[in-house]
Amino acid sequence: MSATLLKNSELQFGATTFFAKEHKGETCGSNGLPLTPNSIIIYGKAQKLKLFKHPNLCTYLDIIRGKHERTVIVSQYCGVPLSNYLNKEEFSFEDITKIAYQIFLALNYIHEKKIVHRSLSTENILVQEKNNIKLFNYGLFYMTDNGKLVSFPIIQLIYAAPEVYLDGPNGNLSNPKVDVWSAGIVLAELVLNKPLWQSLKVGQRIRKVLSLVQGNTSIFERIAREHNCYEKYLSVPDDLKQVIEDCLNIMPCDRPTVDTVLKNELFAHFKTVNQTNRSKICEPFEQFTIEELYHWWQLAGGDVLLELKKQGLIRSSPPILSLPQMVLIDGSILGQERNPATLYDSRIIQMPLEGLYQRFEHIPLNCYYPLIHSKSEILSKADDSSYNAEKLPLVIREKDPEHQFHRVILLRRLLHGYPYTRDLIIAESIKDIPPLLRGQIWAALLNVRGDYQQEYIKIDKETPTATDRQIEVDIPRCHQYNELLSSSEGHRKLKRILKAWIYKNSQYVYWQGLDSLTAPFLFLNFNDEAKAFACLSNFIPKYLHNFFLRDNSAIIQEYLSKFSQLIAFQDPVLANHLESINFIPELFAIPWFLTMFSHVFPLHKIFHLWDKLILGDSSFPLHVGLSILTQLRETLLASGFNECILLFSDLPEVDMEQCVNFSLDTYSTTPKSITARTQQSEKSPYIATMDIPVQDLNKEKFPRISVDDVVSLIRDDNDRAIIVDIRNPTHYARSSVKGSINIPCSSITFGEINIENVGIHSSLLKKNKDKIVVVIGSEEANLDIFPKFLIHCHIPKVCVLHGGFNVLLPITPTVLIQNQI
Amino acid sequence: MANRTSAAQRPNGSTQGKICQFKLVLLGESAVGKSSLVLRFVKGQFHEYQESTIGAAFLTQTVCLDDTTVKFEIWDTAGQERYHSLAPMYYRGAQAAIVVYDITNQDTFARAKTWVKELQRQASPNIVIALAGNKQDLANKRMVEYEEAQAHAEENGLLFMETSAKTAMNVNDIFLAIAKKLPKNEQTTGPGGSGQGRRLVEGDSGAKAAGNCCK
Ligand SMILES: Nc1nc2c(ncn2[C@@H]2O[C@H](COP(=O)(O)OP(=O)(O)OP(=O)(O)O)[C@@H](O)[C@H]2O)c(=O)[nH]1
Ligand SMILES: [Mg+2]
Repeated sequence: MSATLLKNSELQFGATTFFAKEHKGETCGSNGLPLTPNSIIIYGKAQKLKLFKHPNLCTYLDIIRGKHERTVIVSQYCGVPLSNYLNKEEFSFEDITKIAYQIFLALNYIHEKKIVHRSLSTENILVQEKNNIKLFNYGLFYMTDNGKLVSFPIIQLIYAAPEVYLDGPNGNLSNPKVDVWSAGIVLAELVLNKPLWQSLKVGQRIRKVLSLVQGNTSIFERIAREHNCYEKYLSVPDDLKQVIEDCLNIMPCDRPTVDTVLKNELFAHFKTVNQTNRSKICEPFEQFTIEELYHWWQLAGGDVLLELKKQGLIRSSPPILSLPQMVLIDGSILGQERNPATLYDSRIIQMPLEGLYQRFEHIPLNCYYPLIHSKSEILSKADDSSYNAEKLPLVIREKDPEHQFHRVILLRRLLHGYPYTRDLIIAESIKDIPPLLRGQIWAALLNVRGDYQQEYIKIDKETPTATDRQIEVDIPRCHQYNELLSSSEGHRKLKRILKAWIYKNSQYVYWQGLDSLTAPFLFLNFNDEAKAFACLSNFIPKYLHNFFLRDNSAIIQEYLSKFSQLIAFQDPVLANHLESINFIPELFAIPWFLTMFSHVFPLHKIFHLWDKLILGDSSFPLHVGLSILTQLRETLLASGFNECILLFSDLPEVDMEQCVNFSLDTYSTTPKSITARTQQSEKSPYIATMDIPVQDLNKEKFPRISVDDVVSLIRDDNDRAIIVDIRNPTHYARSSVKGSINIPCSSITFGEINIENVGIHSSLLKKNKDKIVVVIGSEEANLDIFPKFLIHCHIPKVCVLHGGFNVLLPITPTVLIQNQI
Repeated sequence: MANRTSAAQRPNGSTQGKICQFKLVLLGESAVGKSSLVLRFVKGQFHEYQESTIGAAFLTQTVCLDDTTVKFEIWDTAGQERYHSLAPMYYRGAQAAIVVYDITNQDTFARAKTWVKELQRQASPNIVIALAGNKQDLANKRMVEYEEAQAHAEENGLLFMETSAKTAMNVNDIFLAIAKKLPKNEQTTGPGGSGQGRRLVEGDSGAKAAGNCCK
């Protein structure tokens, strides 16, 4: 019983905060839309940083937006700043070389990703055990678009290269060579074991750096002399000294790139050692990641903003104090005191983890290593703490730290084994899908495989096309309440994915709504555009086969007819009412099905809906549609056409868990052939036997059922069906289905809608709730009037055997009773 | 809080007045602001990030005109050209239409003209058509001249206004102008609207719908 695995010294995190620059004056962009707040642009840009995984970099965990453009950055934060060591402990030259090597490795990693640190200093180099180091806060310059999105300069006095000063306070020089200079200064400090120009004021320090520009003797040497460390300077081994001097070249072009520095002989002996000495977290069979730890911490009550408030980093001041004295007509503001909080605050607040440790204290070690293929009895007996939250509502399970702990640990392991573990992932997903891993799990469920990234790279996403205008006007209207999707980065990504899909699927075209359909995948895979694309590409053929054809009317029409038939099948009362007011699905359900509800629900609801949808087949959405109607049933029944249609123009709150459960219910009790369509990608046995034109089938109010489904109803589960044979008594007497009842169609007067008209069997039908009423006949005319009559009499679950009685003859002699007369 | 349109707020002294019900359809290129105009008219709101319309949306609003209460049943259609095939379902039987374009985009004006033509050919013969040059608040980015649109409106006997769903300029006015121009010489018993929808899809029933009220 312990949380020892959690208490890893590297699994710690902290937060910093700053304000994004507010837009002054004009608030509309050239397209007439309001300008995107800078904090949102930062939010979108910074997502990419979360991908950076390197033993010498602190991992970015989260970006949080507060009030008034406040931005909070949560990142791994562990160890001790290098600055704390200066003047105190002296590092050996060997140690310094090791630190230097790691700094350059880390810089090389970010430079390869086209990111410049720009604020490297001994403050944000964190020393771990064994003189391992990690760089912290290396993404600030990048996420603020080279400093353009904040009103403070991104600069570290002393460490900034001379050209950064020459570029001015608003400069945004992003040559990676500036980092090489800063590394040089850091190393000089380490070697001399002294912070440089410590006693000087800000202005003087800048002057000192700039004064280095003059003269042409070694800068390192001059710095050493100025700090009375010439002796020390002389004692530095030549190869180390040379690296420092190379870094401290005034002209950026004379400075080596990080890549070149790493090739230096000085570091040669680390290269072999390093491979075995990788960080403990984040390699193939990690038990969990720091991202997951952060997630559990939040679920267990951890609150970054609250910690920042406690420590005084976030302070609220009365709004009246921030009023300007004058606002010009163009919106520019005068006489507003500069809020000191808008300056850069370099403090870092470590987040307390004790609460989480305590909360997880009792979780036994074996829970970190769940058994997957073999179940051990001994272990399961010993495991008295097995945690069971399955009975709790979904929204609570998602917020329960312990439940999420078990789910994440288990599914993380299964994902490691994907695709071989796909069946297990499906089995687990039926229970619930942990939100943290949803993107990966969906991809697995949608069978995204192999080289999806390469595939995506190959697709042309840039060439302008005629569809661009439509895409461009749709994107700023697509789930824009969401920070990721409303960020500029989000817009760019969505556009690329849409263009890629259209390019790749030349038989299809862009229909408004495709944007909404893509949004959930992009949100979940924001840092893996290719995966979002791959998910979309696998989702559409499965659920929306041919929906995006230029002329999709036949597909939509068939879909909506099936929907109407399903309503009539499950809820004839509602179906009759809707028919009587002519409230047809064409008027309200197109956006539902065309976007699989992604246009009508907010993201968090779509997630819960699609969690189940993705596990079902292409008929599941029909059941979802039915389920929504059912939730609004009372209102619909009491309303006329206008009220009904108004209800759907502004869809009222739908309880998603209830909706999903109801859908699962009807989905599992409805025979597959009831909802089978010709235009679905899955093969359907029912369709194969179809000999009636689709247009005619579409006009029918009731569904047809396939002979296979009927046979299995009769054979396996006789109780589930009432077989109504409507042929004349002579035929019935000659041969009939076992247990069927005979209501000769010719004996009924249909004029009046009264179930009593069917005679003695009326009470059986009237009582019916759950049984499937299969109407079997032989003449097409009767096959139309009779089932319609039953539906009008509010008899549920009415369907017609497709092909009539004769289809039973050759296939299943065993279900029939034959009487030789 | 959303404020109702001023027209709707106007105290209606006489309950004796006529109640008329009209079906009105909004047509126009995507993103010109059809849904925004309706939202402004019906709820007094404006959403910068108004969602795009798929298929169509339905809303109602009532305005008072002298002694007559006019209830609009508004169909807001999808603008993308591909949804064109659905449009007849909505304009068939409509007594009024607002064809919307965006004054900052010349193409949307061209599209508006083709909509007008289509309506004149295919919709009810007495349909009242208004042309709305929306996004007037972006006049500094104007690409369609007021005079050009007005000339086109005059030639074709359309009502014309430049509107802004964002600032609410002319939004109520254009609906009121339509209400005034609609024939109101027959009194209906009341707004038992439920029957209206039926006609919407019955293919051949345009004339019937128009006959329902206020003919
Ligand atoms: N500046 C300005 N923007 C407007 C105005 N009306 C609409 N918009 C914006 O234009 C965009 C499109 O408006 P919508 O109302 O969605 O357009 P629509 O014609 O309904 O588009 P579809 O549903 O695609 O046919 C939205 O971002 C609105 O915020 C206006 O009067 N002024
Ligand atoms: Mg719209």
